[in-house]
Amino acid sequence: MSPPTLLDPRRRHLLGALGAGTLAPWAALSLAATGAPSANRFVFVILRGGLDGLACVPAIGDPEFAPARGPLAQFASAPLPLDPTFALHPNLTQLHAMYGRGELAVVHAVGLPYRDRSHFDAQQVLESGGVRPYEVSSGWLGRMLGSSGAKGLALNTAVPLVLRGPATVDTWAPSALPDPSADLVARIERMYANDRTLATALERAKALHFDSTMAADMAAGMGGGRAGGFVVLAQRAAEFLAQPNGPQVAVLEVSGWDTHANQGNPNGPLANNLRQLDAGLGALREGLQGSNASSGPWARTVVVVATEFGREVAINGTLGTDHGTGGAAFVLGGAVQGGRVLADWPGLAKKNRYDGRDLRVTTDLRSVLKGVLGEHLKISERSLNSEVFPGSESVKGIALLRA
Amino acid sequence: MSPPASTGAYAGAIAAHRFGLGEPSLDAVGTDPQAWLNSQIGPADAPLGAGLLGTAAALDQVAAELRARRAARAVPADAAASAPDLGGFYREVIAADVRSRLLTAASTTRPFAERLQLFWANHFTVSLAKGSVRGLVGAFERDAIRPNIAGNFEALLWAATTHPAMLRYLDNTQSAGPHSRVVAREAMRAARLEEGPRVSGLNENLAREVLELHTLGASSARGPRPVYTQADVTSFARVLTGWRVPLQTGDASRPFDPNWHEPGTKTVLGQAYPEGPQALRLVVHDLAQHPATAHFIATKLARHFVADDPPAALVDRLAATYRRGNADLAGVYRELIRSPEAWQAQPAKLKTPEEFVLSAARVLRLDQRAFERGDALGIGALGQRVHGAPSPAGWSDRAEDWLGPDAVWKRVEWSTRTAGRLGARIDARQLAAQSLGPLLSTDTRTQIERAADGPQALALLLMAPEFQRR
Repeated sequence: MSPPTLLDPRRRHLLGALGAGTLAPWAALSLAATGAPSANRFVFVILRGGLDGLACVPAIGDPEFAPARGPLAQFASAPLPLDPTFALHPNLTQLHAMYGRGELAVVHAVGLPYRDRSHFDAQQVLESGGVRPYEVSSGWLGRMLGSSGAKGLALNTAVPLVLRGPATVDTWAPSALPDPSADLVARIERMYANDRTLATALERAKALHFDSTMAADMAAGMGGGRAGGFVVLAQRAAEFLAQPNGPQVAVLEVSGWDTHANQGNPNGPLANNLRQLDAGLGALREGLQGSNASSGPWARTVVVVATEFGREVAINGTLGTDHGTGGAAFVLGGAVQGGRVLADWPGLAKKNRYDGRDLRVTTDLRSVLKGVLGEHLKISERSLNSEVFPGSESVKGIALLRA
Repeated sequence: MSPPASTGAYAGAIAAHRFGLGEPSLDAVGTDPQAWLNSQIGPADAPLGAGLLGTAAALDQVAAELRARRAARAVPADAAASAPDLGGFYREVIAADVRSRLLTAASTTRPFAERLQLFWANHFTVSLAKGSVRGLVGAFERDAIRPNIAGNFEALLWAATTHPAMLRYLDNTQSAGPHSRVVAREAMRAARLEEGPRVSGLNENLAREVLELHTLGASSARGPRPVYTQADVTSFARVLTGWRVPLQTGDASRPFDPNWHEPGTKTVLGQAYPEGPQALRLVVHDLAQHPATAHFIATKLARHFVADDPPAALVDRLAATYRRGNADLAGVYRELIRSPEAWQAQPAKLKTPEEFVLSAARVLRLDQRAFERGDALGIGALGQRVHGAPSPAGWSDRAEDWLGPDAVWKRVEWSTRTAGRLGARIDARQLAAQSLGPLLSTDTRTQIERAADGPQALALLLMAPEFQRR
């Protein structure tokens, strides 16, 4: 395969790459274009542990890819082609179909302003929306909800940092325990009269559990966070989001991406996690599509899938990869102008790597998130710059939605 | 002048609930709460329960499972139905480990020591979330953590870092010096067979987490003058090469294999260390003595016992005590017990699900059979799988991470079920008074007194703010 787009040795602008012309003037977008903003849905999927962007979106057309990756450039079956340079991991079949339908945009060489390879610090930056770890203590989605008044939901027992802020956020996870009586709950509420934190949590939980069909029986033992339960969580997320008065924003988490060893094993954790991720995102689409693909909630949905950092370009001594910097992200949904790989591709040669080891970040993840929040949820540029992503004035949003 | 809080009316209840794991009656604390706590400083109790394996026996089992798996793979596909099912290989030992952890904590007369054991086991997390440590987590806790909770931090750090479970959990068993003998041999073998080498160099996982999570703390790598950098991580990973336990020999007492060790001198934090296994001793010593470690450990202890955002003065005092004692932990615990910040009547901490369930088990004097059910008393359903923390950072010690509406709801559900089983036999009014003493608020007492029946009264006690907090 000849990669004609890869002739410039320094930096290549690929199809649909991030030229100045694609920066979003969302402030000028017509509000009518996507209907009432409150009907739009946004889902953020956090992949904890550092997803290897070069494993899930291999740059098979980059001549440096195979030598840099060695045995990890080999896949059990052929990667699913996206364009002359990039492909998807063979287990991402549903995502590949979405790409074909123009519902998936892949962003590569993307990352945070943080560069130091600690999971915990990087996740703090990913979720807080700050520039350095711990300089911001609430979450960017939490602050966004606080100012927009939209409703948020975490598909987990705990509220992840990204959703923490002034607004109260609902959480939901499957349970194998018996339902308490309404009478008992009312009495506990009285007991919490002087404990505001516990009272607030209980009040929100009560609304979620007594309200509707949501207390439906669930398979026992399915926990949030583990990839095995991701499909179930995605299905439930779709049910919540599809309700006319449901949450506008949902957050799902999948852990287990920290692949330090044997990550190429076709039956190993990475392969299984990718399969689960693909199935879960497929289930989310199916659940949101409803009976009518063009007018169902899916048509008004944007999903962003992101991780705290990518992994080192070279494999480590144990057929895995150590913590790195740049990686890949997915933007999908009926509202997305997909079928594109967005990458200001830095190349994989050692001299082009960050610190000589990692895929260099050429797209700030915040430009993806700002583009989506601005265009899709109509958050003002001023609010995005000052409140949601403080210190991000120079990071412009990318246009990602269908006109 | 009012008496110091540590001897005031609340002191017994605070000692029992904030420093301990709850008592059905505050009589257990006696008349001098500080003396009660100080007397508990020392190695953790011998673990209770049957079916517990020592580290060597647990490793033997891992080696046996590996052999069984290889044998199963060698069976031709058409005979696969007769191959042994290995899915449940570790089920019994994992269940025994979890049961022992809970039973010991629920039964001990030294609950402060047990809280320290739980704290350090979480600090040095080894988790079943990673398959490679199945069957080893309990042995790690019993052999590396329990005996070492109240000595010098260096001994604890050494025991945890060099334990086979940690070496496997953070991939050090697979990390090889790029210039080691094993890498050279493996390269030759791979070239002969025309395939890629299985092992070719470093895996930084353990090195990074020891610095970031166990000693200096991630925050010390930030800022304009970071205490450590990526270069220190890589260099420390070289020091750690060779520290592995070969399952073929399964000898836990000799966890260093020179064939995997990177030759030459290494520099970590500006200090040069010689080639060989002795280098790790020296690095562990220097890390334990480092002021950043003192501050990090002091912060985590203060956060665990006092407040999610502990008072800076308390942290500084604990860190100074740590440094003065050259990393002696017992002195730090005594300083904590002496500290007025730890004796505020208003509880600042929310119990984690495990602390909540353990304190309920103690207060309710839960029957031995409850521990035999094999569901870890239901703690996993509350969002905290015992021995299964999601990452090497362990479980969060901050209320916000446990206060999602769903998390609180699951506690209500758990209390409903538990009270349904026991509530007809227990007088919640009396138990509330005896267990919580002066901490029991008028609101809570009123609600319990007005409850519709025994189970409801007990569920209310378990869900009371003063029982959910400590």
